[in-house]
Amino acid sequence: MEISQIIVNSLIRGAELSLLAIGLTMVYDILGFANFAHTEFAAFGAFLGFTFNSLLGINLLLSVVLAALLTGLIGILLDLSIFEKLRARNAKTLTMMIITMGMGIAIRNISRLIWTSSTKNFPMPLLQPLKILGARITRVQLGILFIAAISMVAFHLLLHHTKFGKALRAISDNKELARASAIDSAKMVQWMWFVAYSYAVIGGTMLAIEHLLYPRLGFDIIIPVFCAAILGGIGNPYGAVLGALTLGFAENVIISLDFGPLFSLGGLFDVGSLQLSTGYKPAISFMILILVLLIKPTGILGEN
Amino acid sequence: MPIANFTIYLFTMFGIYALFAMSLNLQVGYAGLVNFGQVAFFALGAYTSALLVVKAGLPIAVGIIAGMLASGFFGCLLAWPTKSLKSDYWAITTLAAGEVIRLFALNEKWLTEGPFGVMNIPQPLEGLIDKYYNIFYFIFVLIVVAVVYMLLSMLTDSPFGRNLKAIRDAEDLSKSLGKNTQKIKVQVMAIGGLVAGLAGAIFAHYMVYISPENFRPLETFLIWGMIIVGGRANNRGAILGAVVIQTFYVSTRFVGNYVPIGSDLMSAARMIVIGLLMVSFLIFRPEGLLRERKKTYPDEV
Repeated sequence: MEISQIIVNSLIRGAELSLLAIGLTMVYDILGFANFAHTEFAAFGAFLGFTFNSLLGINLLLSVVLAALLTGLIGILLDLSIFEKLRARNAKTLTMMIITMGMGIAIRNISRLIWTSSTKNFPMPLLQPLKILGARITRVQLGILFIAAISMVAFHLLLHHTKFGKALRAISDNKELARASAIDSAKMVQWMWFVAYSYAVIGGTMLAIEHLLYPRLGFDIIIPVFCAAILGGIGNPYGAVLGALTLGFAENVIISLDFGPLFSLGGLFDVGSLQLSTGYKPAISFMILILVLLIKPTGILGEN
Repeated sequence: MPIANFTIYLFTMFGIYALFAMSLNLQVGYAGLVNFGQVAFFALGAYTSALLVVKAGLPIAVGIIAGMLASGFFGCLLAWPTKSLKSDYWAITTLAAGEVIRLFALNEKWLTEGPFGVMNIPQPLEGLIDKYYNIFYFIFVLIVVAVVYMLLSMLTDSPFGRNLKAIRDAEDLSKSLGKNTQKIKVQVMAIGGLVAGLAGAIFAHYMVYISPENFRPLETFLIWGMIIVGGRANNRGAILGAVVIQTFYVSTRFVGNYVPIGSDLMSAARMIVIGLLMVSFLIFRPEGLLRERKKTYPDEV
């Protein structure tokens, strides 16, 4: 494969994963637990967007925005009805994590009940892919990269130039001090859920547009998304973006590498070309995850 | 006799899932190690035993023991990179490991026959007992459950069991008392692996046919439902949970006969109930149906 093609594919994969990893890492940072339902809500939101777009005939961008807002609202409602009570009760973060796993099972199967297990395609116009430095890229993929870039900039501005962002960073730095400074942390936590799930829906929809939409999508991307967040340094949103891009590159490079020369020991044995079977593509993020945990569990941007 | 046969099948499955749930309970309930990939151990036990007996022609007893050992070894291996980390990392690495084992079973056709699965797995003593074979197998499973229950109870009542609870409740404290908590975590993953591997091997020889379809992540979620509903850090709770969840899971199959709903939708509805049960139990009755028995010591005067 052309190097330029690897770069393009990696950038797209990285962009999609970043939007998902940001929310996961934020929830971990502020509330202290890993949310195993995160990617399930992304898939659920993608289904909502699909319904608005293909069944009600609403414009695609507007459908995604609507789905993101709705899923964000669900995030707030779940915080009010479940997590806030548990926090008040000083429940262990471990319990919260297991609750999110149960919630994830429920959401995934609710999608299955409503939209059935059959795979769905977003209706996309078929256009000739563009060629940039030898790499093929479709207009849809360009759109994905463009929207991902805008979303990242918006996230940065949100974190640094709004009251919400400043409050959130204050809570992240020191919970007690934030409370002493009259920051309404309950409200900020609700907004955080809203942002986390909205971003997840954008990322999830992009994955669904590029590949397929099906109820297990959320479960299938849970490992790469966690891997991205941990690789970048869990709790750090910029780390999550960096981790997602790194993972995107690693996946695409490993898939296109020919391990033949490595195992022939300099031409000693004739093993021919030896590539990783595509059936194992989902295992790459697991291997990288194990390596990170062995070498530097705090991730690229994490403190030691 | 279909009802009698079905009842025996159901009770045999209670036993297999009780073993499986006890293995998870040891790790989660006693040691607080969140394992979201327990199905990997079940699958390893099942495949190791089935392949050794079918392809290498070894005796079934050897197959079952090898299945347990393979699973226990995998537990050690998996605990190694995560032994010093927080439970969140255990959760994600075990979840991922479960998927990798399934991918291996699906892709390595030369060994596992891939999606076609392993067929004609021999059953113990099948030539000798033919008429009441299912009753015999049920009694065999029952004895295994009783032995494992006794061994696990001895283990958790011993100082080792108290070490596990200490790790769960206050790891730093038990470290400061000079306990090698990392070593204990590796050991508990190995023991949990042995038991889950045993459950898997017994499952394979009971079903006669296994394929990657039997080892979907769903199985892990089912046994999580069992220990959450039944009660953690209590082996009786794990067994009760296995009976409750398995009864619900199997009995809803018959609902399809009366309500016009496809099998896919039915299984979705079933899993929604299990997911919601997990969430509601953790909110409203976190200790489960059967409480953890806490030893009380008389106050010193």
